[in-house]
Amino acid sequence: MKPTHPELRRRLAAEYVLGTLHGGARRRFELWLRSDPALRREVTGWEQRLVPLATTLPEVAPDPAIWRRIEARIDPSRVQPKPAWWSNLAFWRWSSFATAGLASLLFAYVVATPALHSAAPPDAMVVVMGDSATAQPSMTVAWTPEGRGKTRLRIRVIGHAEMAPDTAWELWMLPDGNKPPRSLGLINTHETQVVDLPEDLRGLLNRAAGMAMSLEPAGGSRTGAPTGPVLASGKCVKI
Amino acid sequence: MDPLDDLMARCSLRDQRAFAELYRRTSGRLLAVAMRIVRRRDWAEEILQESFVSIWHHVPQYDRVRSAPMTWMTTIVRNRALDWVRRPQHETSDEGLEHVVENWADDAPGPLDRLRNDADAGALNDCLGQLSGQQRQSIALAYLHGLTHTELADHLQQPLGTIKTWIRRGLERLRGCMDGAT
Repeated sequence: MKPTHPELRRRLAAEYVLGTLHGGARRRFELWLRSDPALRREVTGWEQRLVPLATTLPEVAPDPAIWRRIEARIDPSRVQPKPAWWSNLAFWRWSSFATAGLASLLFAYVVATPALHSAAPPDAMVVVMGDSATAQPSMTVAWTPEGRGKTRLRIRVIGHAEMAPDTAWELWMLPDGNKPPRSLGLINTHETQVVDLPEDLRGLLNRAAGMAMSLEPAGGSRTGAPTGPVLASGKCVKI
Repeated sequence: MDPLDDLMARCSLRDQRAFAELYRRTSGRLLAVAMRIVRRRDWAEEILQESFVSIWHHVPQYDRVRSAPMTWMTTIVRNRALDWVRRPQHETSDEGLEHVVENWADDAPGPLDRLRNDADAGALNDCLGQLSGQQRQSIALAYLHGLTHTELADHLQQPLGTIKTWIRRGLERLRGCMDGAT
């Protein structure tokens, strides 16, 4: 049970920081801390009061190998990368299979809207994204390869999608030439949505190999690359 | 403004050169913190490494209003060191502990002397000076060396209840004194 008595709360916070609160009591206290901002402030206060004891210790120089290991852990470009999912050929095989049949079916649905009937319908780029778990189509992304101004992606989420709390869906373009994915932004669970991208991305998009959607922490990937599992992916086709 | 604030801000923007500079400036002090607690250099270096990887990943969430950079980083290292030393497979030998307690008096310059000479430590130093010697010693041993109540009782050869009282009363007085001083 969470402590409510102010004196007990103060004492536990002090002994937590001092280190004399240990074992099960320490773990329980850490759990309370997560949901109790006032208790966290109490802890921060003690950290600040006592920290001069630690920071006035004589320095001990670490072995230079320690920094090299840290560097390798935080900068993936310094270590041999594992083959990434977007360079895996087998991964794309089913997706091209799915695309061949579905693209023409979806053409009328996502592209041939009434507004376009007056003029000759422009070419369209379509990506049919297959759900990674079920291999069923779960989303389509379409845009017009020609034109001026911002590039408007029209997205359709198929079925009733649900997003887990504190997570986000991030859409990625896989540029040609096996380059790393580039974020196209976050999407939501609405059935239809649009994402406007700068005009200069259109050329890159038209040549893209495919798109993928990954599960990311709320607010999107913090590294600039997909960090979570790929929920859906598909190849780009011109129709 | 803390001279490390600027480095922390750059690190949160994923600037690896700023992170290398942060490591250069703080790793010596942080390794000393870990070594006091785990009492083995190889373990302390492993804790330092894990702590810096964690610092890199969590620095975007660091809030400089809440705590100074060195306080934040010291907390990460101390918590890892305390977790480490309390795992049964990492129990340090009692010889190490004897050494800690015996050398407490002539740890030259001792932790309390170093505090006296450090401008930032003024309030803590003044207030520790108002505690009894036993309260001061048990608080400093627990904080710096990660000793539990039981270990303190063994090595200071006092009943467990006495140690707990020294620490509890010492911390209460320290808080009252330091909050009054600011």
